[in-house]
Amino acid sequence: MPLNTDVLWYKDAIIYQVHVRTFHDSNGDGIGDFPGLEQRLDYLQELGVSAIWLMPFFPSPLRDDGYDISDYQTVHPSYGTLEDFRKLLESAHERGIRVIIEMVLNHTSDQHPWFQEARSSQDNRRRDWYVWSDTDTRYKGTRIIFLDTEKSNWAWDPVSKSFYWHRFFSHQPDLNWDNPAVRDQMWNVMKFWLDMGVDAFRLDAVPYLMEREGTNCENLPETHEILKALRRKVDEQFSGRMLLAEANQWPADLRPYFGDGDEFHMAFHFPLMPRMFMGLKLEDRKPITEILQQTPEIPPSCQWSLFLRNHDELTLEMVTDMERDYMYDMYAASKSMRLNLGIRRRLAPLLNNDRRRIELMNGMLMSLPGTPIIYYGDEIGMGDNILLGDRNGVRTPMQWNGGWNAGFSIAEPQRLYAPLIQDPVYGYPAVNVAAQKESEHSLLHWMQRIITVRRSTAVFGRGSIEFLHPANHRILAYLRRQGKDTVLVVNNLSGTAQAVELDLRRYKGNILIEMFGNNIFPRVGDLPYLLTLGPYQFYWFRLRRV
Amino acid sequence: MEAMSYGPSGAELKLEDESFLSDDFLRQLINVGEVDILVGLPTHNNAKTVGSVVTTIRSGILRGFPRERAVIINADGGSRDGTPELVTGVSIDDMRPASNLYALRTLHSISTKYDGGAGSGGALRTILAAAELLRAKACLVMSPEAAHLQPEWISNLLRPIYRDGFDLVAPTYRRHKFDGLLTTNLLYPMLRALYGVRIREAYLPEFGFSGRLGSQFLGQNGWHDGNDQAGVELRLTLAAITGGYRICQSFLGEKEHIERRSSDLVRALRQTVGALFSALETDFPLWSTVTGSKPVPTTGSEQELLLDPIRVNRKRLRERFSTGVAELQSVFQSILSTSTLAELQRIARLGEEEFHYPAELWVRTVYEFAASYRKSVISRDHIIQALAPLFRGRVFTFLVENRNASATEVENNIEGLCLEFERLKPYLLQMWKSRE
Repeated sequence: MPLNTDVLWYKDAIIYQVHVRTFHDSNGDGIGDFPGLEQRLDYLQELGVSAIWLMPFFPSPLRDDGYDISDYQTVHPSYGTLEDFRKLLESAHERGIRVIIEMVLNHTSDQHPWFQEARSSQDNRRRDWYVWSDTDTRYKGTRIIFLDTEKSNWAWDPVSKSFYWHRFFSHQPDLNWDNPAVRDQMWNVMKFWLDMGVDAFRLDAVPYLMEREGTNCENLPETHEILKALRRKVDEQFSGRMLLAEANQWPADLRPYFGDGDEFHMAFHFPLMPRMFMGLKLEDRKPITEILQQTPEIPPSCQWSLFLRNHDELTLEMVTDMERDYMYDMYAASKSMRLNLGIRRRLAPLLNNDRRRIELMNGMLMSLPGTPIIYYGDEIGMGDNILLGDRNGVRTPMQWNGGWNAGFSIAEPQRLYAPLIQDPVYGYPAVNVAAQKESEHSLLHWMQRIITVRRSTAVFGRGSIEFLHPANHRILAYLRRQGKDTVLVVNNLSGTAQAVELDLRRYKGNILIEMFGNNIFPRVGDLPYLLTLGPYQFYWFRLRRV
Repeated sequence: MEAMSYGPSGAELKLEDESFLSDDFLRQLINVGEVDILVGLPTHNNAKTVGSVVTTIRSGILRGFPRERAVIINADGGSRDGTPELVTGVSIDDMRPASNLYALRTLHSISTKYDGGAGSGGALRTILAAAELLRAKACLVMSPEAAHLQPEWISNLLRPIYRDGFDLVAPTYRRHKFDGLLTTNLLYPMLRALYGVRIREAYLPEFGFSGRLGSQFLGQNGWHDGNDQAGVELRLTLAAITGGYRICQSFLGEKEHIERRSSDLVRALRQTVGALFSALETDFPLWSTVTGSKPVPTTGSEQELLLDPIRVNRKRLRERFSTGVAELQSVFQSILSTSTLAELQRIARLGEEEFHYPAELWVRTVYEFAASYRKSVISRDHIIQALAPLFRGRVFTFLVENRNASATEVENNIEGLCLEFERLKPYLLQMWKSRE
């Protein structure tokens, strides 16, 4: 299957997020690798994904799961070789699957040769590649992101006897983007991978590139200038490639990252995700519609990126204190489930393994405006292990079957990079791909089906959204429109059956065709359109005038 | 949220006849769905006050129960002044965010018209039916005239139910010592003596109740009997007592004094004393065996009295007492014992300085009225009307006795009257049986 040549391919994409380390181990060393991932591409193709997003696979001390890069232009030896990566890229493209890779622009590992040089002497030619200071009092207005581990954004370097700036862990010094040499070098890094054929970058931590006194050092105009310059180069030299922003910000602050369609193609909609969980628990659409009503219009060529869970904690930075307390109480009763300002759990455990709620959340993920991202393993309802530190509990090996090491690796179990999930509910004997392939009604088959239905129309990826506001607040209903196509989505956020009356008079004369079973529902008339929905049920209807 | 079921058997909805709810109201209830908290607001042309009341209710809900599913239900008696629109205007949803409040979830504020006109039990019946259909765990009825309403009142009345498992929360207030005279001179002491429970404000302008009590009351109350519609709030209190439900009091703070026309007294007597007298017949097996009284758990002060001056036309009270005793002599002859009537006639002839309606005579009067209410050739409504001038005479004495009294002294005097009601309870039993 050749790659779709549409330059807006990302709008219709189904993205699958995976860490090479976690997916499949081909050489029996206990760590997933590129050849292993390549072997599993058929699975992803069957699932219906059209792009994979690979978490950092570069050489790294792995103190932050690879986001602490020590060499940008090769791959970590645990995952294979650069040639292995090339082969993966080719194989993915042959299956019509694009490849998105990480690019950490903001900082490097303190083990990166650039930093080692920079700290070696105040006169070193790379000294100015990082942000140094004689005091730890500059940029006082800047928040600390990793509150649980860091006390300051400055760290003392005993080698060069000065402080260096870091927005994340202290072993991740921030690059100095004021330095033109840094800008040139980082473009060279990006170009290296684009030349190889990668289709997109997820640019990590972009709000923090620049620092200016008297500001909070986030979302600065100078940062946007840098990003626009990078985008220009991508467009000029690599048409059809895509830039995805990781900027955990409020919608209004996110909007500038799209520019006039000249900065990022896509950006994560961080505030939406916790509100979907909140709306589900409250059985009330208000949190969801409120945040989407606050979400500004974006240029036509741009797209939001939606997700339910990812490799990080379920971030609660973009909620109010009251909402955060509520989320903690509802979804992370045990303090061990909490990390920084978030909840380090997977989708299925968050939803008490309730198949109906898992389906509803995925239904919303697939039908709200944006491109959905599925976190590896969530398509089979994998669990987590909160006894593993940091966010490692949601990064355990993929569960392929009920056999040796869940089919992930032939290594001795104790050599695996992380222990398998083994509890009775989510353990690999109970939750695995092979078993779910065998079962017609498995979550995996359901996920394949919903992806197929989603991909059957461009309306979900490209259409407008209009919320209906039925008086029953447990019902989240919206119309997605694209050209002549109109789809009505009705979600019951409640655990009980609900009746709802929808004002569809504008569509009088249309019949509703339920998109999963293609069954016909009654014609829309002058009266409010009455629907009943079972607990957590949702409908997608195609409107058709007959 | 966990589902709950109500009803005496803990089983299912037992609304036998919900046809009194309009289709439109049912549609609104469907949209509201199951709730944890329900605030009922009976209204009839209350546009002057209801706006601030309902805004305060909303604040109280958002502050006290931000996570709970809540609804405000207005049962309106046919207002023509825009009252229902003021109530529904405080809804919070994704179309109408509260500008200065943060709300985690949707708050419905809905309105329906009930049949029966102002002041009937129809409003409470509608609210109770809605509470049952919505499976409300904790309910509250607020007065649309509660000018001193504070957001904290909402928590104070609901929390004992929602968090502590009580079924009825009666309010106590900070009142002027001469406010609520019907309560202090008749309702409180008589109810206490008969039912053995010290509930200060048994005729409830604001009160909280559990879903299960509301459901029980909805099922048992004689809603189709027009006479029983009056005083339905008092009947709810009695139902809680006789049903063995958990009752407590909650201190709310200042209660505004509302000037009433003298004609309001008869109406108030019908709704309170009439309801109480009426209940005595069915509740006889209970109250006839009760001796003494016990306090109920109270959060905050039990009652606080203020000593600010308040204008009362004492002279007119005594005049209307004397006139009443003279004009209603033939009626009194059918209600009162000879000795009681003679004593009343004697004091009716006294001048203002000498006039005194002693506690014991007052208690005997009330008890003889109660016994007569059960079986008399005179209509019950006439009996209640006949009590009005006598009550005015008693009030005159209360005002004189407490003219310069401190709050503590007033409380002591009220306590003394209560004890008199308890002491003379055998007299009521004797009168009661003599009329069998």
